[in-house]
Amino acid sequence: MGEKNIIDCMKLGIDIGGTFTDLVLLEPRSGKLFFGKTLTTYPDPTRGILNGLQELMSLHGKSVAEVTTLIHGTTLVTNAIIERKGALTALLTTSGFEDVLEIGREMRYDIYDVFIRMPAPLVPASLRFGIRERVHATGKVIQPLDEREVVKTLRALVNKGVRAVAVSLLHSYANPAHEKRIGEIIRTQFPTLAYSLSSEIMPEIREYERTSATAMNAYVQPLTSHYLSQLETILGDAGFKGQLHIMNSAGRLTTIQGAGKAPIQLLESGPAGGTMAGIFFGELLKKKNLVAFDMGGTTAKASIIRNGQPEITNHFEAAREKRFKKGSGLPVRIPVIDMIEIGAGGGSIAHLNHLGLLTVGPESAASQPGPACYNRGGDLPTVTDADLVLGFLNEGYFLGGTMKLSREKARAAIKKHIAAPLGISIEQAAWGIHRLVNENMANAARVHIIEKGLDPRHFSMMAFGGAGPVHAYHVARQLNAPQLIVPAGAGVLSALGFLVSPIATEEITSYISTLQQINWTHLQKILESMTEKGRQFLAKAGVPSTRTKVKVVADMRYAGQGHEISVSLPGSKLSAASIPAITRSFREEYRLRYGRDMEGIPIEAVTWRVLVSGPKTALHPKQSVVGKHTLPLKGKRKVYWGKKYVFTPVYDRYLLKPGQRIKGPCIIEEFESTTIIGEHGVVTSDQYNNLVIELS
Amino acid sequence: MSMKRKKSSLTFDAIELSILWSRLISLVDEAGTTLQRTAFSSVTRESADFAVVLMDTKGQSLAQSSVSVPSFLGVMPFLVKALIKDHFPLPTWKEGDVVITNDPWLCAGHKPDIGIVTPIFRKKKLIGFIGCIAHSPDIGGTLWGAGARDFYEEGLYLPPMKLFDGGVRNETIFLLISSNVRASRQTIGDILAQVAANDQGIRGLHRMMDENNLDTIDELGASIIQSSEKAMRDAIRKAPDGVYRSVYHADGDGIKEAIQFVCTLTIRGDEIEVDYDGTSPAHSLAINAVLNYVFAYTAYPIKCVFSPEVPNNEGSFRPIRVTAPEGCLLNAKKPSPLGARNVTGNLLHGPVMKALSQAVPDQVQADCGAAVWVMVLSGRRNDGSEYVEYLFLAGGYGGRKGLAGPPTLCYPTNVANVPIEVFEHDAPVLVTEKSLIKGSGGTGKYPGGDGQRFAYKNIGTLPIHISNVTEKINHQAYGLLGGSSGKKGNLYVRTAAGKKRFTPPKGHDYLQPGEELVMELPGGGGYGKPKG
Repeated sequence: MGEKNIIDCMKLGIDIGGTFTDLVLLEPRSGKLFFGKTLTTYPDPTRGILNGLQELMSLHGKSVAEVTTLIHGTTLVTNAIIERKGALTALLTTSGFEDVLEIGREMRYDIYDVFIRMPAPLVPASLRFGIRERVHATGKVIQPLDEREVVKTLRALVNKGVRAVAVSLLHSYANPAHEKRIGEIIRTQFPTLAYSLSSEIMPEIREYERTSATAMNAYVQPLTSHYLSQLETILGDAGFKGQLHIMNSAGRLTTIQGAGKAPIQLLESGPAGGTMAGIFFGELLKKKNLVAFDMGGTTAKASIIRNGQPEITNHFEAAREKRFKKGSGLPVRIPVIDMIEIGAGGGSIAHLNHLGLLTVGPESAASQPGPACYNRGGDLPTVTDADLVLGFLNEGYFLGGTMKLSREKARAAIKKHIAAPLGISIEQAAWGIHRLVNENMANAARVHIIEKGLDPRHFSMMAFGGAGPVHAYHVARQLNAPQLIVPAGAGVLSALGFLVSPIATEEITSYISTLQQINWTHLQKILESMTEKGRQFLAKAGVPSTRTKVKVVADMRYAGQGHEISVSLPGSKLSAASIPAITRSFREEYRLRYGRDMEGIPIEAVTWRVLVSGPKTALHPKQSVVGKHTLPLKGKRKVYWGKKYVFTPVYDRYLLKPGQRIKGPCIIEEFESTTIIGEHGVVTSDQYNNLVIELS
Repeated sequence: MSMKRKKSSLTFDAIELSILWSRLISLVDEAGTTLQRTAFSSVTRESADFAVVLMDTKGQSLAQSSVSVPSFLGVMPFLVKALIKDHFPLPTWKEGDVVITNDPWLCAGHKPDIGIVTPIFRKKKLIGFIGCIAHSPDIGGTLWGAGARDFYEEGLYLPPMKLFDGGVRNETIFLLISSNVRASRQTIGDILAQVAANDQGIRGLHRMMDENNLDTIDELGASIIQSSEKAMRDAIRKAPDGVYRSVYHADGDGIKEAIQFVCTLTIRGDEIEVDYDGTSPAHSLAINAVLNYVFAYTAYPIKCVFSPEVPNNEGSFRPIRVTAPEGCLLNAKKPSPLGARNVTGNLLHGPVMKALSQAVPDQVQADCGAAVWVMVLSGRRNDGSEYVEYLFLAGGYGGRKGLAGPPTLCYPTNVANVPIEVFEHDAPVLVTEKSLIKGSGGTGKYPGGDGQRFAYKNIGTLPIHISNVTEKINHQAYGLLGGSSGKKGNLYVRTAAGKKRFTPPKGHDYLQPGEELVMELPGGGGYGKPKG
């Protein structure tokens, strides 16, 4: 595919969420952004995409044919695993190790719960088959693959109605030959079966995690392939002729083929879009270090942006038994944007616990019945109810006035469940709920930041999500953040993030050795082959190798430790002469994370990653939203700021003039959210209509 | 006392208390996180075998890091109270002091667990203590296991001493430690990480006190302790009063010196008393436990049953008393060897749950295929380099009302297994099987979880030294309310010629080249009568 001038590329981001499908169209020539929102359709979400697409295009007089790149993110994969709606999947593994997938790591995620439930494996015992073969840790074949047994087993499981096969053999990260041969047998003799090889999905040491990821990939493969081909068809029918890219969990884009092969990469595409949007706005505002804070209806998430890059982790779990309990899900070692999630959202329920103390969340009233103030039958007090009672929210302008809130119901719920039992006023109780949820979020964010050896005081906070801007002021103050930013377009933020994510692919190889003992010729060969693979992938996606960037990352540790840290290495050509530079990079990163160093202990590399990425999109958005009021000041309302009510000015965000400075306390309303600014904040609206709040 | 309570509950209302309390837990968690991530000790890191505890000036605990194994329940306050009483009276503490000790009777029952205590000063006044305890990479002596013959073979003993005196490093102690342990850099590194974790906790506390205009933590502490104690007492009060007895048999050495636990659990009003009179005397193997460790593993199942969600602090344990005759297996004295006291501690939930099942049958679980088996392998690879590998393996979990027991799950301690691929990479072994033993869990309406078979072969040219600590080779995990017992475990070596040979269930042995060690872990007990 020929390359067009970047200026002519019309880019469209589409994010399918549980309730809404969001669209963002970027016209680079004018720098204009156009936003669209439509209901997600069930069971076929492509209908919703089509609706939204046609609506957006006709509204702005554009045609689908003008779109050169379309980027898509979806919760399809996540939901299929949570709801266990994947294909009937079998596992082929080394004989004697069929139960590894069920045995797991033998650890409890909650040490005080007698009634603990462990997640059931995606492949039941009856569909796990051992194959006679064995490879040693060095990659040496100890027992050859019994191909006849493979064929016999595959035949049997086709008869059982199995549609997908996961293949995960011991040490296949060191020598994938047996897995590859099984793949070949499936492709040639059982072409109807979808299959995933662990050496392709997650070629890393640690058999349980690798098998779990591979089983999960196989499990969602048939449904993802079906969905993606359907999507291609409907988009083609609608006149789309450009490149279709898919957002993955690490804030990178992949192709339809890439997504179809490794659908587990899509698990966290929506949240990743949020962080990438943070990077986008950070670039506009020249902020390289940010905490992206996203608070919605049931959860709050925080992620760190350092040097304009998301923090990536390889530890992720899908489908947790207990949503906020680490370790209660199925592990997937894929690169994901590192994020903490806690049960603190607008719908989080406040209650008095068995100690008689106020507690907020993690239980949520969700959208049904929703907070008491929604007047849909919920009578338990939530964070949104407290925010309404305090005057932070406007009962007549929730979601731009499309939804009327009941202050009376909110007051009644807080009175009944909190204020009356504690013998305090309704306002004091509401203030307590607001403070406590902020405290919980700040605590979680602080632990997350400190875990990385970073100092919260050096990070500006970027807030989004429906409830984010309502709470961010107090959370940012708790973290001693110097600045708070509430970006424009908060309602379609993930889709916006898609537009700035680079197309990229990460190749992985485990090669465990101390730096002193590395066979550099061998390593260089591995790195070159991974680079070549990555370049070929990008070439297929339309990025010529002259425009690709290659980054080598090694997961390293001091020999004897169990956790590795990922370290970006200088350059991609490595040899024995690189040892001092690699050592320096590792020790720098180690010191940063842990505040100390371990001189004299050998450094060991475990996994090598090569990230090949395409160019970044340069965006220069201009305002494209027009408001209805003529004056930014909408009026004043009574707001309870902890001790007493204060008449607080309320502004219309869409009418704020660039450069206009407003001292807190004040409230700024917009369609999707409300920004609260206390007395220690001064807000300025910048040229892109972002709110920048300096905190003192 | 009642006057003071009233005052403190006035000082902190339900909202204030909730906010400040979660902040305290958050700041000890921050300290704990850093400690866990920087530790060399695989036990500290992988199994969260550490705790950071914030205490008031009386040594009463206010907050404990939430990721932590049961071994440390109540241990740190016990230590600090003893330090104040017998070693360093309150007026002698200076800013910049740091005390170190691994005294098993003051800390967690064996020498590898090192306690580090730092006083907290605010405006030149002592306002409390922060302490952490963690499993060190090495402490000298024989390798960890049940094999030591007495206390002195178990390595370096560190009585309570000032590691830092008013901010000045005591180089003598550092030199002494580094000259007496294997992997001295890692061991010293971990000790310094503990010191740093305390400092981080102190910084977090000052920040929190600054923001909230607090000068002391006494009032806040009193409120926290008071409400936790009340919650625990309320929960116990719901259980029927009575004296509940249980007798529990276990392997001991698995050959000729079996052990028995006799547990008399008395629920009286809102208090629980557990007495172990009748339990076996101290054992010749290093499986003896000290009383504060026994307290931790007795209080743990009680907490699981009655108030799993009350945060750990002084108050939650006040209503529990634990006693055992002096010199017995559960109240061992010098010079009894203590190294593998974990296997004994890990069995105590058995007799405790069995006694509790008579009072609150709906809230307990049937016995688990515990204790977790620990195997330490050491030796040289073909190229002459040394290795030491720890293996942890779990049996089946017990059935509970409404739920079958999951297979292969740790209880009561919590340790991740070592991945096969990592194990084979680190040591000259080939794992030949890791699979569930179908039907090894006891039957029942809610069956017990299955145990596992794990076998590996020495594929090197040199013998591998193995230290075995197994359990339930001769005894079964009991079922409850009509559920049947789980299957026993089994342990043997298959020689190169294919013959079975004996290897001690607890103790040392050599696995010769070509020999295979086969471990069959016990299943959990079933709960309730099976249908039909």
